[in-house]
Amino acid sequence: MMVYLIATLTVVAIAALVGLALNPQWGMGGLVNFGLFGFYMLGAYIAALLTVQGLPPLISLAVAMIGVAAVSAVSALITVRLSEDYLAIVTLGFAECLRLLISNETWLTRGMLGVTGIDRPLQGWWPPGWSDIGFLALALLAVVAVYAALQALARSPFGRLVRATRDDAGVVEALGKSVLGVRVRVFAMGGAILGLAGSLHAFYYSYIDPSQFGPIITVYAFMAVVVGGRGSNRGVIASAFTLIFFLEGSRFLIDFVPGLGASELAAIRLFLVGVALVALLIFKPDGFGREPRSVLVNDPSSPSL
Amino acid sequence: MAQLLINGIVAGLLLALPALALSLTFSVLRFANYAIGSYLSCGAYLVYVGNVGLGLPLWLAAGAGAVLFAIFAVAIDWLAFRPLRNRSGVILLVASMGVAIALENVIRFFAGNSPRAYAVAVARPMRFGDIRLNHEQLTILLTVTASLAVVWIVFRFTRLGRMMRAVADNPDLAAVRGISRARVVAYVWLISGALTALSGVLVGLDANVEPQMGWTYLLPVFTAAILGGIANPMAAVAGALTLGIAEELATLVMPVHYRMIVTFLVMVALLLVRPWGLFGTRWVTK
Repeated sequence: MMVYLIATLTVVAIAALVGLALNPQWGMGGLVNFGLFGFYMLGAYIAALLTVQGLPPLISLAVAMIGVAAVSAVSALITVRLSEDYLAIVTLGFAECLRLLISNETWLTRGMLGVTGIDRPLQGWWPPGWSDIGFLALALLAVVAVYAALQALARSPFGRLVRATRDDAGVVEALGKSVLGVRVRVFAMGGAILGLAGSLHAFYYSYIDPSQFGPIITVYAFMAVVVGGRGSNRGVIASAFTLIFFLEGSRFLIDFVPGLGASELAAIRLFLVGVALVALLIFKPDGFGREPRSVLVNDPSSPSL
Repeated sequence: MAQLLINGIVAGLLLALPALALSLTFSVLRFANYAIGSYLSCGAYLVYVGNVGLGLPLWLAAGAGAVLFAIFAVAIDWLAFRPLRNRSGVILLVASMGVAIALENVIRFFAGNSPRAYAVAVARPMRFGDIRLNHEQLTILLTVTASLAVVWIVFRFTRLGRMMRAVADNPDLAAVRGISRARVVAYVWLISGALTALSGVLVGLDANVEPQMGWTYLLPVFTAAILGGIANPMAAVAGALTLGIAEELATLVMPVHYRMIVTFLVMVALLLVRPWGLFGTRWVTK
């Protein structure tokens, strides 16, 4: 039971990081990143391939964060002449192409066979047998650090600029701020967090292959942000917990419902996730959390921008 | 070379119907429907049920399936998109992703993950000199051309077509002139649902019927629609043909499994240089 709990918590921590990565992009900035799973996958592969080459895991993790941030920024630049709606299809196209490249360029990524034997960071620090708990501590530490950074961001002038861009890009432009600049920086930030989350995924499973990464990761992340409340970092962490526990818990349904195979159950689960996403957008668009209090932009009683 | 061109045209025609459907809904509703890939798969599976399950001939099953799915498309709009219509387009994008996942898993639940094929007789390809043409390719050619002709006539010469163009052009002005937006929207979903379902059958004929089939078509369909200028439905057809031929010609220099990368590169180049499309007018704003 303990082992199971530790494993689930680690998965939750990684999912929370993915949700937190989407929060500055979609929650605060209103930018749709459907290709999120591609950036996550890129992070995992950069970290895995460098670590397998013998680089210390923490260094590979840093490279993965920088690399994914840079690639994210570039993908935001592609939409330089367009409204933010186009980010959705550009990022999705990027992610699908990346998955295709990783599956086929076997000389670099070993294709569908996957990369094996990825070391975890700080392996030597924990006594034998404590490796999983040590890794969980590391993942939770990452969540706390990212949370603190995003909270600071949300309260900073730049955070207000990001939210203002979401609410009315025209006004921001008229005030002489660069909307594209905001978009690129927000994407780079989310990219760095996705690089971190992807690296942790690679370290945790110590084996990655292209089939682990699909659009469903994107849907979970949107789900986490919608449930948690767009822009609310605390809400996103809480909803990542709830979501993963719900998904894990529903695994046990197989024992109770006769005639239900694993693939049918998976289909029902994903069907419910899709329906819940739409239903939440309709009935509870602000989610269950709240944006940090410094949001005066949405407050009717405060003077407008 | 001529063979590649023919293959490219057929590949383009496969994209033409969903691209037309996508830009039709976009031009009236101003939101890009990411569920269109799942619509395509759903249509293909509905027709599979008619064709293999009930033993109907394929043309009959396809007709019935297209009509049935057109009604589903209106129902999905009522359930999922209509309540969100007055919110920002970005919310609708995310909702359509939710619809996409839900529909795809309805298919997986009932039909499983294994690929299936329609009950059609296997025939030898026809030869015209050096050029080979499959019966499937011929079916695609004829079906798509006929459907396009019907849509074009509806769009150009009927009252409904004028209403659709009016709402696409200026919804407020159209409303003032007494055009019911809700009715036009319902018709748009009917047409785009039927077109997408039909294209699902053609894709299934060309390859296999499987739950992922629509998803792999998502990127090319969007690219084709953007190529045409996304708010311009008939130009989407030209965009689809251009993309189909480009993809096919690219196989001369790139491995076949990298088709999607060709598509992506075309889209990126287009967004950077001519975001209003090859054939569209310059309406896109930053």
